[in-house]
This record gives sequence, structure tokens and C-alpha cells, in this order.
Amino acid sequence: MKENNEQLSAIIDHEVVDKQLLDELIANEAQQAQFSRYHLIGDVMRGEAADQFLNIDISQKVMAEINRQPRSAQVSTLDTSVNTTEAQKDSNIISFVKRFSQYAIAASVAGVVVLTSLVTSQPAVENSNRGLEVLNTVPFGGAVAPVSLQATHKQSKQAMKEHNERLEALLKDHQLQLQTQP
Amino acid sequence: MKLKLIFTTLVTTIFVLISSVTFAIEADQSVKVNETNVEKKEALTAIEYLQLMQKSYKELNYELLYLNSLQNQVEPKQLIHGVIDDQEIAYFRFLNGAMRESLQFSDKISYFEQGSQAYTLQSTHNRSVFANIANFDYNKGQDSYEYIILGKGRIAGKQAIAIRMISKDEYRYSYIVWLDVDSHLPLRLDTLNKSNLILDQVMVVSLLITETVNPWLEKLSLQQLPQLLHLPQVSQQQASQWKVNWLPTGFKVVRNDLHKLVMHENEPVSYIMLNDGIVSVSIYISAKKIALDEKQKIIQRGATVLYTYQRDDIEINIVGEIPIVTAKRLIESVAKVK
Repeated sequence: MKENNEQLSAIIDHEVVDKQLLDELIANEAQQAQFSRYHLIGDVMRGEAADQFLNIDISQKVMAEINRQPRSAQVSTLDTSVNTTEAQKDSNIISFVKRFSQYAIAASVAGVVVLTSLVTSQPAVENSNRGLEVLNTVPFGGAVAPVSLQATHKQSKQAMKEHNERLEALLKDHQLQLQTQP
Repeated sequence: MKLKLIFTTLVTTIFVLISSVTFAIEADQSVKVNETNVEKKEALTAIEYLQLMQKSYKELNYELLYLNSLQNQVEPKQLIHGVIDDQEIAYFRFLNGAMRESLQFSDKISYFEQGSQAYTLQSTHNRSVFANIANFDYNKGQDSYEYIILGKGRIAGKQAIAIRMISKDEYRYSYIVWLDVDSHLPLRLDTLNKSNLILDQVMVVSLLITETVNPWLEKLSLQQLPQLLHLPQVSQQQASQWKVNWLPTGFKVVRNDLHKLVMHENEPVSYIMLNDGIVSVSIYISAKKIALDEKQKIIQRGATVLYTYQRDDIEINIVGEIPIVTAKRLIESVAKVK
């Protein structure tokens, strides 16, 4: 194991590029995890790590937790065949969520995921043209609420956050559907 | 030393002057020649150019370095395309920031990203840069677009010809496609709204065409792919209980199902996908969870719009590269199947 780790670190430093070693790495999940941790360590030391990379392990735990909880009434309204197939592939789906939560599937579509920048984007140009006067976007972050209003303000902020998370999931699902369409 | 420099400059200037004169003469001649056999050579119409572009895009071995600009953000990217045993292979990556790469080959696409595990999806759908215009049926598209040759220019050091696809109505965006005159490969694509504002632009800065396939692609094609992931099965028999009563010209429903948002608590949604060959539009219908202050909310980024609308106890979301008017009309036409 120790020797393996040394080899891994050699790969990262571009000291060794051995085909057999790389093949082994592709096949071995434990080594892959180690490899990615090494890279992460390197990134952190160089100060290159983006925040999003630092929650990798948490996301998996959270998803596992969610899956362990009893399914809500809403989910069970879907037909049962969906539920059973999902149960079989449970482990697969966890990793799926974990991966997609970090990558907007279609690399070709530039980060539509960044919702904050989405929301602050300028109001639609077509706005003024066609009687679509209701198209104002929701102001975010910048607004300062009076102290007395803070409680209610906070609550709606939380709701908006949840709403945005859902929108983000929709955007990702859209990409996923596009990529896997028949 | 200084004298020598001045001399060189002088010689160069003279040379440039002379060459431009000869060039002018040449151009004059070629114009005359063209006039005599207009029908024979230069008579390619816009649609013929576009069809040649489609052929080149799929059949040539090439490497593109391009910039994608979207709302003041520029992202440099790379695409390497090749054909191995009559099969297309495409390698894509972001050039700045974290490593993000994808490889599409033999009906599979693999994603590699720094900091997370690589995975593969089953996919026959090419979504690389320019793939939408390269796979469009231009004959059929004449119902919704007009194709016009705008003129010539120079892009990425190549002589380019600009062709405009003008939407015949307000329900889709218009495009300007620039092609390399020699290879017919696409060099630039502008997405324009009704007021001719560029919403999204892809511009090639370097194009390299090779006789043989790129050795890197050859190597990748032999490589073992990461683990193949399966999407949770959607129940195909069970269509969503919704329909759209209005479709813009050229659009048709390509998907209609119930599935779960794997990235959001496995929430079930009714789903309809529309496609017109260039863009795809997703319509999600679900139970209203959080009541918004406004009945609708619109988020736009480049050409992509995300339109949220709440009525009664349902929420409808539309995602796609369509104008807001289209999204609005689509939402109004969503109705429950009786």
C-alpha cells in the first residue's frame, strides 16, 4: 500500500508515467480516492482549490443519509417500478448525485449553474417590447433590510435559497436530459 | 545599425506597396473571371455552404481552439475531432481553471473533472461546439429560417464567409454562421435576438486540419473508459399527464415522461422536451413547494432562459435557448391531459 502511494504521488508529479500503473489506477477505486486526495492536498497547498472541491466527502454522506430516511409520501405516488429499479442501483445513484452536484454535465454549456450570477443578470432586453412588464428578476444579496424586519426577511431568504437550489437542479437535469436524449 | 533598420523598413514598405498593387490587379482579374463563369464555380448558395459545413464537421480530422463569450465572460476551450474506422471521436476540454474534459466515442461520453471521479454516460447525442448547426436539417429548416450570405471576412487567419440564419418569426433566435471558405468548417457562431444583440458567441481562434487522425485521439480511443453510470429508469409507458397546446414552427415533442430529479431529493417531475433541430427546450411541471412573491420569475443568461411560473398549486419551469416570448406562450399553453 505504501509503495502504491509513492507511485501515485510520482504520477501526480509527472515523474513516472507507467501504463500498467495507470491501468491499475483506473480499475482500483481505493487508489482513485487516494489519487484525488493527493491532488486536493496539492491544490490546497498551492492555494488553487476552489471551495466546491472541499465538500466532496460531505455530499456523499448527506446523500446516503437522505436515502436512508423513509421516502416521503410524495415520492411514493410515483409508480412502483421506478422505486424498485432505483433501489437496485442505489449505490450508483449516490455517486451520480455526488458527481453531478459538482459538474454541470454538459461541458459545452458554460456554467449556467452559477445562479447568483444568473439572477443578477440584466433584465431581459425584450422586456420593454411586448407588454411583458412583469419580467423583473428578484434582487439578491445587495439589499439591506431594516433591523426590525430582519426576522421575516431571513425567512424569505431561506425560502429563496431553497428555491434556487431547486432551479439549479432543474438546469442540471435539463443538461442531463439533453445529453441522454434518444 | 540604425541605418540598416531604416533601410529594412524602407524595403519592406516598398515591397508591401508593390504587392498590394499586384494584389489589386489580381483581384480585378478574378472578378472578371468570376463574371464570365458565375454559374460554374462561385454559384454556391447559402444552403449549399451550410450543407458542406455539415459534411466537413463530421468527416475531417481537426483541432479547434475557441473562445466562448457570454455576458462579458470569455472561456477558452479546445475541441479535437477525428474519425477512426468511420466512427467520430471528439475530445473536449476547458483550457483555463480546473481541469474539465470530456471524450465522446462509440455512443458513450466520459467526463473527467479535477476533484471528482470520472464517469461515463450512454449517449448518441453530440453536444460539442457547433454540433447543433452541424446536425440541423437545413432543407426542413426553411420553414422557420431564411439563409442569406452576408459577405466575406477573416477569422482565425482563414478566409471566411458569413451566412445568416434569420428566424421567420419572433419565437426563435437568429444565428450568424461563419465558415472557412476552404474547408467549410465552422469558425464562428453568433446567437442573436430580435434586436440583433449578440447573446452568445463562439469564435475559433486557431484551426488545424490534418490528413490523419490526431495521435492523442488514437490513444484515447484505446483507453479503458471510466465506470458507466445508468440513469434511474424513467417509466416510458407512463407519459406525463400534461401537454402543450401550442408549439412554435419546427418544434416537436421528443420526450414526454415522469422522472425524478436525481440532483434534488429525487423529487418527481412531469417532463416534456421540445426540439427543433437547433435548440432543445425542457418543460418541468411539478407541485408547488415554495410560493414565490411574484407569480413568475425569469432568469436569463446568454441565450438560455429559465422561466418559472406558478399557478394554483403547480409550478411550471421552462429551460432552453429560446426568447422569453416563446417561453411565456409555451407556459400558457401547458394543460392537463383529460
